[in-house]
Amino acid sequence: MTNELLILCAAGMLVTAYLMVGQKALFTAIRLYGVQSLLLAIVGVTIAVADSRLELLVTAGLTVALKTILIPWFLMRVIDRIGIHREIEPFLNVPASLLVCVGLTVVGYRVSTGFPVAARGASHHLIGVALSMLLIGLFLMVTRKKAITQILALLTVENAVFLVAVGVTPGMPLIVELGISFDVILAVLILGVLVHRIVDRFESMDVSRLSKLKG
Amino acid sequence: MDLLLWTLAVPLITAAIGTIGGLRRLNDLILVAGLAITFALSLATAGQFLRGDVPAAFGDALRVDGLSALVLVLCAFVGVLSAAYGVGYLRRNESRGLVTWRMRREFYGLIPAYVFAMLLVATSNNLGILWIAVELTTLASVFLVTFHDRDTSLEAAWKFLVLGSLGLGFALLGTVLLFASGPSQLGEGMQALHWTRFIQVAPELHPFTLRLGVVFALIGYGTKAGLAPMHTWKPDAYREAPSPAGMLMGVGMVNAALYCILRIHLISKASLGPEFSGSLLLTLGLLSVLIATPFILVQWDLKRLLAYSSIEHVGIMAVGVGIGVEAGAFGALLHMTYHSLAKPVAFASAGTLAQLHSSSDFKRIGNGTFSRAPIASLLLVLAALMITGSPPFGMFFSEMTILKAGFASAHAKATSVFLAALVVLFCGFAFQIGRLVLGPSRDPSDRRVPFPERFDVGMATAIVAAIVAAVSAFYLPGPLMSLIRSATHVVWGGV
Repeated sequence: MTNELLILCAAGMLVTAYLMVGQKALFTAIRLYGVQSLLLAIVGVTIAVADSRLELLVTAGLTVALKTILIPWFLMRVIDRIGIHREIEPFLNVPASLLVCVGLTVVGYRVSTGFPVAARGASHHLIGVALSMLLIGLFLMVTRKKAITQILALLTVENAVFLVAVGVTPGMPLIVELGISFDVILAVLILGVLVHRIVDRFESMDVSRLSKLKG
Repeated sequence: MDLLLWTLAVPLITAAIGTIGGLRRLNDLILVAGLAITFALSLATAGQFLRGDVPAAFGDALRVDGLSALVLVLCAFVGVLSAAYGVGYLRRNESRGLVTWRMRREFYGLIPAYVFAMLLVATSNNLGILWIAVELTTLASVFLVTFHDRDTSLEAAWKFLVLGSLGLGFALLGTVLLFASGPSQLGEGMQALHWTRFIQVAPELHPFTLRLGVVFALIGYGTKAGLAPMHTWKPDAYREAPSPAGMLMGVGMVNAALYCILRIHLISKASLGPEFSGSLLLTLGLLSVLIATPFILVQWDLKRLLAYSSIEHVGIMAVGVGIGVEAGAFGALLHMTYHSLAKPVAFASAGTLAQLHSSSDFKRIGNGTFSRAPIASLLLVLAALMITGSPPFGMFFSEMTILKAGFASAHAKATSVFLAALVVLFCGFAFQIGRLVLGPSRDPSDRRVPFPERFDVGMATAIVAAIVAAVSAFYLPGPLMSLIRSATHVVWGGV
């Protein structure tokens, strides 16, 4: 039962990553990120209950508070203020992007076979999904032009890292986890401030316009 | 309170006072005094280490061994130079009405905060704290990159933060995977992520997981160090950041990021043998030196030139460690020391020239700066000689040490490519600086300097730094030399 739930949540996270690639409306992309983080939290709670590792509940609670509520709310507010709601045509069109992502998932799963066989059969899937999400996040980052999408790509990479952390390790020390969460929030806030300034200055958040500095 | 904790607390307090703002002179004094005290405390901490003690705090989460002590002292040294030069820099901009109240508060707050984060990196023995500290350096420096608030500074800051965060995401994954490589051996709680613990249980870690973790962590921290091909943020950020901040990024941050790389390399070495991460470092280092070469030859901007030079020097240090010989590691750490002494002079003099001409673009500065700003030009020439590794200056010796070790090792071919690149780099750098300083002057009609050179605290700092750097070639103080030796011992012996 536990294993099925874990695999289901992990698969759900991968699906949200795919949907994000196929998505042009920024609001929807942000909501997808929220759902992805919620699934991550469910993975945390499931493991916490199954292995009675209560400190994971704190991590899961933090994930819900910060990543499904605070960060999406903040990003939506940024979008509302600047009034830009859609991603423009990416450097690579959607069908081709999805095909590339399938390839990336295969690579992610292939790499995950090198890990030691853990007690739980699910951890193989967790690593496979996490590595695929990492690669998809990187792919989003290089092919999209809007600043907000790049932030979401960064956050997807970060979720992938946390999936590895809850799925494969017996939990990072709590203080380290708190420090990391704090730093991530700060980074998102600063990125939001920068988006504001970029839009004020260039009247667009198209980062492909940031190309004066070369050589 | 402990000496080590004071070393970290003083810059933090300085930052807090700086953010409040207030009288200008008082702020200047607090900034310089705060970072000077920090430097003195770091020397005292290193002294404590040299007397055979191991300064530590928070259950060994912070711990000063030879490598930490060396990086700590070098970062604190750059911190005080940056503060003293920064005071003069800010005052010059202020006299032209370029500095707002907000900018001053940012400057007085962020410079010591940045120094604090670097010192935290240098003293941390816990991979989790190490990651948090590196992220703090990034966050502290973003608003220093946007300091001048130009279009291009926003571009540079965006690239800096996005690439930096991505690199740190990789480093975090690397840390998690390192931890996942032996959860039962590493144990639980804070100790599980201690570097010393990793070294103790290294032979029992799961090789595949560890290898993947090492690759991710090296790429991640390599991004912060500016190793090619993850170096692309560097020229932009260096150009946009005000020179005192550039000094911290170009010297302090390079040392701090290299410290992280070395810690990861040592875990990998203890568990998988020297070949795996060593050859990775050698490849990345060689690539950095090779990539920097063409960009230095065709460079159009003085501060970007320094950025490529910094990429080159990170590459040299990575090669020194990567060739996997004790002499190479010694050469790399010697190079780090001399680089930290010489590079601030380059940043200070280039910053002064850029400030006098209101631009760091070669075209807008114009050739023949010697007739317009003789002192800054002379310092720039001296700095260029030092950082290109010309004899009799220190980096000549450190580069020779690395080369000699390289030719004696199994990587003789790579070393010859490295040597060829160094020669081209020397010529390119000499050509650029020579043309700028001594080249034919602009039209006589256009000969006036926008702002004449004046003797002030910034200039005095640059001159003192230049004297220190030049003297260090002939005389390195005994304690500093023993620090380098014990750091080599850590990098070679593991503990």
